[in-house]
Amino acid sequence: MSTVDTRESDPKSVKKDLRLVLHQVKYEQMAFWVNRTGAIFTIGFSVLFLVLLGATNGSQTISSLHNITNDQFYVPGFAAYGVMSACFTMLAINLVTRRETGLLKRLRLSPLPTWALLAAIYISTAIVAVSQVAVILIIGRLGYGVQFPTNWLALGLVLVVGIACFTAMGVAISSVIPNQETAGPVTSIAFFLLLFLSGLWFPISPTSGLATFSKFFPVYHLLQAMAAPFQLQPGVSAWAWGDLGIIALWGVGCGLIALRRFRWSPRRN
Amino acid sequence: MPAIGVNSLFKSYGGVHAVSDVSFEVGRGDVFALLGPNGAGKTTTIEILEGFNKRDGGDVRVLGVDPGERHNQRWLRTRIGVVLQEMAVESFFSVRQVLERNAGFYPAPRRVDEVIELVGLCDKAQVKVKKLSGGQQRRLDIGLGIIGNPRLLFLDEPTTGLDPAARRMTWDLIRTLSEQGTTVVLSSHYMDEVEALAQHVVVLAKGQIAASGTPWSLGGREFGKVVISFMLPDGVALADLPVTPSRCAGGKVEVDTDCEIEVLARLTNWSMATHHSIAGLSVMRQTLEDVYLKLTHDAEQRAEVVVA
Repeated sequence: MSTVDTRESDPKSVKKDLRLVLHQVKYEQMAFWVNRTGAIFTIGFSVLFLVLLGATNGSQTISSLHNITNDQFYVPGFAAYGVMSACFTMLAINLVTRRETGLLKRLRLSPLPTWALLAAIYISTAIVAVSQVAVILIIGRLGYGVQFPTNWLALGLVLVVGIACFTAMGVAISSVIPNQETAGPVTSIAFFLLLFLSGLWFPISPTSGLATFSKFFPVYHLLQAMAAPFQLQPGVSAWAWGDLGIIALWGVGCGLIALRRFRWSPRRN
Repeated sequence: MPAIGVNSLFKSYGGVHAVSDVSFEVGRGDVFALLGPNGAGKTTTIEILEGFNKRDGGDVRVLGVDPGERHNQRWLRTRIGVVLQEMAVESFFSVRQVLERNAGFYPAPRRVDEVIELVGLCDKAQVKVKKLSGGQQRRLDIGLGIIGNPRLLFLDEPTTGLDPAARRMTWDLIRTLSEQGTTVVLSSHYMDEVEALAQHVVVLAKGQIAASGTPWSLGGREFGKVVISFMLPDGVALADLPVTPSRCAGGKVEVDTDCEIEVLARLTNWSMATHHSIAGLSVMRQTLEDVYLKLTHDAEQRAEVVVA
């Protein structure tokens, strides 16, 4: 109210803002690929696990899942792993590191608007996740003869929901991790424990106690939702609405935590 | 219109006053230094000016706008540059890459080559940040502060950890920027730096202004005690001197005075008349550091008295 607006104004332009987002996406991508740890932990790990597990017992069938092969079981599983490791683990570690080294504060003080930074981080994370899913599908097809999903539209929806929600979870957990040293261990332990309990490494019976517990967490549901579009079992819909709904709930909840608790400055001062 | 106007600024954290009734102005193109011990409220004040921190009370104008208003922030951030105390640059990018990345944030940035030259990193442009020395990283950090061609530049301890040559280079850079019309807000622990660069100084202590003025007049420094010293000429006894020595050790005579002109006149007249040459003659005013330490010490003592 007391501001007398004598200043020159900057022209507002949506086109310029979009170019700004793409500019930042380019550097987010460069940072991911140049700084090899992220690439190794996400893409490298999922490919390595898939190849190792496929080599040991890939063609055996699983009687509890209507005799699909282990390979057919692992391909959607590691596609889901890719989405989760890119959006959750890597993003959380990346954000904590950037916050604690002052990089976020510096960006905050630059003219790059917050929404543009977040959009760029989101797009960049999505690029990594999608390329990882593609790599797994191609290796599965060429290496182990696992068919592509029968319903691509359903897979697309799983990716959209999965990437959005696990990104929100990644941002949320980064806001409660106090420092760089604990970022890696905390996220990795939480992630691998849930992966184990949710049946990435071996199929769990949907009625077992383990499944009952895992069903509270989104990891189990992303594994289920990712397998659905492959329609490996007769009579199962490609659209896993129930699983997607629970993932979305987690996404909204974590999104709210992320918005409330997100910090720009290092915690140590 | 001044570059910065602060009127009766207040900020507290959990009931403790971090900044209390602070007012000052910074003219356009000036180099302004904010001094004070750790915890005096410098960082809080600067963060409020940058729009990074919210104030509790008072009026603040930066380049004519209120930095606390959300709708001013993007406008302001295209026109200010910030160099934080701690280096924050991605270590896996090259010098040129980070500068190009940040240049892309601004509508009218400086040319990347120009900045690389200004901060003296021409032969390091393609080198990764992690391969740079501490001083070179600091200079890159300053480069990132000026890439957007800011009208107002905040420098938080810009030369801490630099070797003397790199320090002088940074001083020259700050002078060049100031001559080109950039306003600079500087915080530093080096008094020689403040004396060399700043036209105006504010000393904060316990969240309040302990003193303000030019570096050479701060705390009555231009009128205070002066020490005149010289080597005792051969064959002259202390008693033969035209002035009363305060101390004499190893042939070096020191005279404390607050009327240095009279003492110097007597000495030089005596020297000319008796043909005794006076070696090593010097006039030492209280250093800025002396004044600064006294001011902040006094402020802390006053605060303790209030508490007691």
